[in-house]
Amino acid sequence: MLFSKDRIGGTLLLAFCITYGILSQNITLLPIQAKAAFTARTMPEVLMVLGIGLSVLVLIFPGSNERPQLAGFNWGKAALFLALMSAYGLTIRPLGFLISTSLFLIAGFALLGERSPVKLLLVSVPLVVCFWLLMTQGLDVFIEPLPWFLKG
Amino acid sequence: MIEGILIGLGTALTPTNILFVFAGCLIGTFIGMLPGLGPMSAIALMIPVAASLEPATGIILMAAVYYGAIFGGSTSSILINAPGVASTVATSFDGYPLAKQGKAGKALAIAAYSSFSGGVIAAIFLLVAAPFLAAVSLSFHSADYFALMVLGLTAVAAFAGKGDVLKALLMTVIGLMLSTVGTDQTQGVPRFTLGLIDLTDGISFLLLVMATFALSEALIAILKPSGDDKRQEEMEASTNLGSMKVTGAEAREMAPVIGRSSILGFIIGVLPGAGATIASFLAYGTEQRLAGPEKGKQFGKGSIRGLSAPETANNAAATGSFVPLLTLGIPGSGTTAIMLGALIGYGIQPGPRLYIDQPAVFWSVIVSMWIGNIVLLVLNLPLIPYIARILAIPSRFLLPLILFFSLIGVYFVSFNTFDIQLMVLFGLIAVVLRFLDFPMAPMILGFILGGMMEENLRRALLINNDSWSFLWQRPMTLTILIIAAFCLFAPMLWANFQRMRKGADRAGEGG
Repeated sequence: MLFSKDRIGGTLLLAFCITYGILSQNITLLPIQAKAAFTARTMPEVLMVLGIGLSVLVLIFPGSNERPQLAGFNWGKAALFLALMSAYGLTIRPLGFLISTSLFLIAGFALLGERSPVKLLLVSVPLVVCFWLLMTQGLDVFIEPLPWFLKG
Repeated sequence: MIEGILIGLGTALTPTNILFVFAGCLIGTFIGMLPGLGPMSAIALMIPVAASLEPATGIILMAAVYYGAIFGGSTSSILINAPGVASTVATSFDGYPLAKQGKAGKALAIAAYSSFSGGVIAAIFLLVAAPFLAAVSLSFHSADYFALMVLGLTAVAAFAGKGDVLKALLMTVIGLMLSTVGTDQTQGVPRFTLGLIDLTDGISFLLLVMATFALSEALIAILKPSGDDKRQEEMEASTNLGSMKVTGAEAREMAPVIGRSSILGFIIGVLPGAGATIASFLAYGTEQRLAGPEKGKQFGKGSIRGLSAPETANNAAATGSFVPLLTLGIPGSGTTAIMLGALIGYGIQPGPRLYIDQPAVFWSVIVSMWIGNIVLLVLNLPLIPYIARILAIPSRFLLPLILFFSLIGVYFVSFNTFDIQLMVLFGLIAVVLRFLDFPMAPMILGFILGGMMEENLRRALLINNDSWSFLWQRPMTLTILIIAAFCLFAPMLWANFQRMRKGADRAGEGG
């Protein structure tokens, strides 16, 4: 099977290994190490050869010919969650821990089908506040709770 | 040894550490019970907490979480036929039929007693084997360590499923590649940083583990159509667990099974790469063969032996996998690889010197295994009916929480928002690769061992005047490399041999 799971994965990893190999040539070598048996490039070059070789072997001798099944999965929802996590990373500093995390959880619960606003708030906000108290008071890990415009 | 045990007891039995064993077992059971989340995710989620503790306490906590997660995995296998981890798949073969017969309580008790016995017996083996192996490995040189790491990596691939050897090897190399990102250890030159300052220190081990396990598990659960309705139905059906009593006759039936499976599990666990999954299936298969035709027929229909064997073996193997970690500094499984990363994070280098330099850590880990097993039996078993309620929490609440704990766990260590973005990227890649059936554990193992492997190879070359001859001139190095080659090629040669023999038989029959 041409487009089996193994072949698709093998192709993706082959592309990664080739890119890795090209980038390995950008590693700067100090003049005194030009003739040394082991330099900063040695390991990456060995790994590049191994990686490309194994990827090609996976392509030639795939373990199974099973084709990937794309139907029946919530691709859109998973993509939205990736975007949500990325947005959380971008907002945790400017909005502070309490607001950004509460929003992240509310959006997450809502995306997975929770419709009751009361439940959304009751599950997320107290949990976030308790977690923040546990981290700051219990484990001495300080994290900015509020957005920049509410800081004292 | 007695002195060591006393040191271990002194450290492990402090009120703080006992508290962490309790907490670890409970948390581990909770997490392990959630279908899809196994010991690796459970330990990964604990690393940020463990990082803020004393080394001995942190390791004790992680070891307790490990046991708890295995126990939790068994519970979901028995109650709803949804093994949290591969190592408890064999448990569901007979555990779930028992639960269906209204004997869920008995099945859970048998699983708990078997796990306890397997863990305790294996910890005794560990007590004897670890110091002995540590003493032997004190004579190892850099070249031998390099060879040992090659052995560890090839063994992982060798034990991969049929047709998966190449994929496991490729993923190991990918892990090794990722370990080279960042500033080179000796020359100080940046490698693969793409001009980003955030990558100068390399990729965080915790980030990679969280992204490839906890985060991707949750994302895969989001991808798959919801199984909430079925899960809740199953939970309601198993609300009444029935009696947890094990009769004398049942105990007598279990005893020899536990003895055999403990030894088998421990030996399999010590082998790098084999781990609890293989041990549990092997123990199940062995007991089925030994049971005879009459009892053997009950396997898969609610056999006590069939439940006891994999449960004993997976716990014994979990203990056995600590042997290479504690004595050689080489993780034998994905889980112990995460623990190795955590130890390195503490500035502790596991290996033969650990036994001498950090006796408190070394012995307290061993002693905490006993305490952990006792806690599981005394505390978790009676609490199971209540803990099992977690299985009824709707996934619409559970999954965003897992994502949150994964992200915040990494953020709390570095306080760098770049890490969150990198984690999302790795999570996406991990989902794609897992969707294509590429294993993640060999990649983690490669990532953890990569730095050490390069360092040992560099040192061996330096000692040997830049000559690679140490690979065949040092008997120890050569022996280990030959074993590695054997591990790698033996399964392929064996498969070919079997194929040829079948072909010859068929030709014989035809002629």
